[in-house]
Amino acid sequence: MTRRDLLRMIGVTAGSAAMYQAMSSLGFAAESTFRQPAGLQGAPKGASVLVLGAGIAGMVAAYELRKAGYKVQVLEYNARAGGRNWTIHSGDTYTELGGFTQHCKFDPGLYINPGPWRLPYHHHGILHYCKVLGVPLEAFVQVNYNAYVHSSKAFGGKPQRFRNMRADYHGHVAELLAKATNTRKLDQLVDKEDQEKLLASLREWGALDKNYAYVKGETSSNRRGYEKEPGGGLTARPVTSEPMSFKDVLGSGLWAMLPVGDNYEMQTTLFQPVGGMGQIGQAFARELGPLIRYNAKVIDIHQDESGVTATYEDTTKPGSKLTARADWCVNTIPLSILGQIPMNVGQPMVDAINAVPYAASIKVGLQFKRRFWEEDEHIYGGISYTDLPITNISYPSTGYHSRGKGVLLGAYIWGLDAMEFTAMPPEERVQRAVEYGSQIHPQYKQEFDNGVAMAWHRSPFTLGCFGLWSEEARAKHYDNLCAVDGRIVLAGEHASYIPAWQEGAVTSALDAIGRLHQRALAGGAKA
Amino acid sequence: MKTNRSLAGRAALALGLAFGLGAAGAAQADSAGIYNASTLKTANGEQIYTHICQGCHMPDGKGAVGAGRYPNFAGNPAVVSAPYLALTVLHGRRDMPAFAERPGTGGKAFGIVTLTDEQVASVVNYIRSHFGNSYTDSISTADVTADVTALRQPPH
Repeated sequence: MTRRDLLRMIGVTAGSAAMYQAMSSLGFAAESTFRQPAGLQGAPKGASVLVLGAGIAGMVAAYELRKAGYKVQVLEYNARAGGRNWTIHSGDTYTELGGFTQHCKFDPGLYINPGPWRLPYHHHGILHYCKVLGVPLEAFVQVNYNAYVHSSKAFGGKPQRFRNMRADYHGHVAELLAKATNTRKLDQLVDKEDQEKLLASLREWGALDKNYAYVKGETSSNRRGYEKEPGGGLTARPVTSEPMSFKDVLGSGLWAMLPVGDNYEMQTTLFQPVGGMGQIGQAFARELGPLIRYNAKVIDIHQDESGVTATYEDTTKPGSKLTARADWCVNTIPLSILGQIPMNVGQPMVDAINAVPYAASIKVGLQFKRRFWEEDEHIYGGISYTDLPITNISYPSTGYHSRGKGVLLGAYIWGLDAMEFTAMPPEERVQRAVEYGSQIHPQYKQEFDNGVAMAWHRSPFTLGCFGLWSEEARAKHYDNLCAVDGRIVLAGEHASYIPAWQEGAVTSALDAIGRLHQRALAGGAKA
Repeated sequence: MKTNRSLAGRAALALGLAFGLGAAGAAQADSAGIYNASTLKTANGEQIYTHICQGCHMPDGKGAVGAGRYPNFAGNPAVVSAPYLALTVLHGRRDMPAFAERPGTGGKAFGIVTLTDEQVASVVNYIRSHFGNSYTDSISTADVTADVTALRQPPH
């Protein structure tokens, strides 16, 4: 019996809670719940659905509901589709709350993704729609052994290559464990036969020499790199490199930055759409065409026994009041905004909507006059991590070796630092990202050209980055948030167990429309 | 790391900030005046407003309007009540995060920023005496502490 068969059996006999527990212990739980095809069929004759929000959740809902035969209309606040799925290109203008306006002066073809920027291979739902909509993908480099790990408090603030830190951390830990084994300190824990296997594995894993030591030599340099690279001809002979001491490695704290790429969501292979993440939103918008009404600010949502009416303002005509009505409503408006819109749903859903604060986050895109990270430092894609408030520098996973200017992600900021950066004017955010980043790349000051800074709490269409559920709030309110209330169901990353990821939006939308469809079928044709 | 088991922690990892406030420690106090979790404790009401609150409530305290809104402090009836403002800062309100010091957060969990009771009083008094407001009754640290104690459970 395979593991999946076992799980299926547990699911059938013991119900979904037991299934979930079993899945957790077998390591399946974190996988996206998406199973294709979504395949809703047979909408009741003449039935209609109003979708609020043309982000990923709203457009997945609209796409599938239309396919099932519903009459669909979508209201979107912005003048574009995609929501947080968005790419800022050369020539774009963005005005944040408070009226601060930025003009993107990147060179043609260069861009920054202010929202989502990577797609794990196991986010089957969003990848499915990339495939269906013909959005070309390319590899997103997460782990780059030649990028840096950096602490302002270690090695005199000098950044270290990921490759060196990883090899030396593993090497020293392996040597220590080998010593403990060879001095019989593990006899109580590991039997004799396994000790031999352990020693062999430590030598492999840590690049130890024949005496189980992690020392300067061919074996360790084959992991951490050479002082002088092997080459051809008379200058061919390599010079091996000296590992850092275990004390320096441990004391640096940089080991904390090594496993980022081991997290399930960061494991190879990751993807990005060619031309920017916003290509997905644009592809959906092309597909849905006139179903989406843009510049529509929802100000009231009212359901009655036969349908749902949304009142909205056409933001190009301030003060205007229009209405849209349908039998059912899929509401993907972020909770940060939905909590301010009158809507006649039950108290449990109201309490749930009001229970979720939104996370602060900043992204800064910086254009430089040349791709110095490639030219000077041989860093092709991937991410350097730092203890500075900018937390990341991410190098473009595309356009390698191209001449001319280049754009990198110069900051990805969270928590208190993000609140502080939000409180600054955009140009100061950019300036500070340049200052901090120059501690890692001294070329910054010479090569910096221009930049754009996204502060998600000042986003007019989300008022924050994503729904920050506490475990307590989720236990109390999550099911009430997701349950169909009369003719209204909510969807979005906030109604998922994959917060802040587009996959949460996709799976939430599919789950919501599945339940709404059942209710529509049960209610017959137009109710 | 225990918090990584929570969903917020998972999101934190997902977003790649596992060590932003964690094992590698918070950044040093910054010469340019960026606070970290420990130096934040030295900030007064005005500094808290300009470093944190104005991100949403804006430098002029007028808030902003988009698809949703951030409230304007000028002429806002809610500002009449210092305890109301203090409770909002402590426990959050809708999308606004909570800033109360509370067990288990320690300022380390993802996205959690905490203010002392004294700082909550100070920033409330700052708001009520600026942005066109000139209330003369102020709220004390003891009042805030009493609010926290009396209202361990977030209000609804």
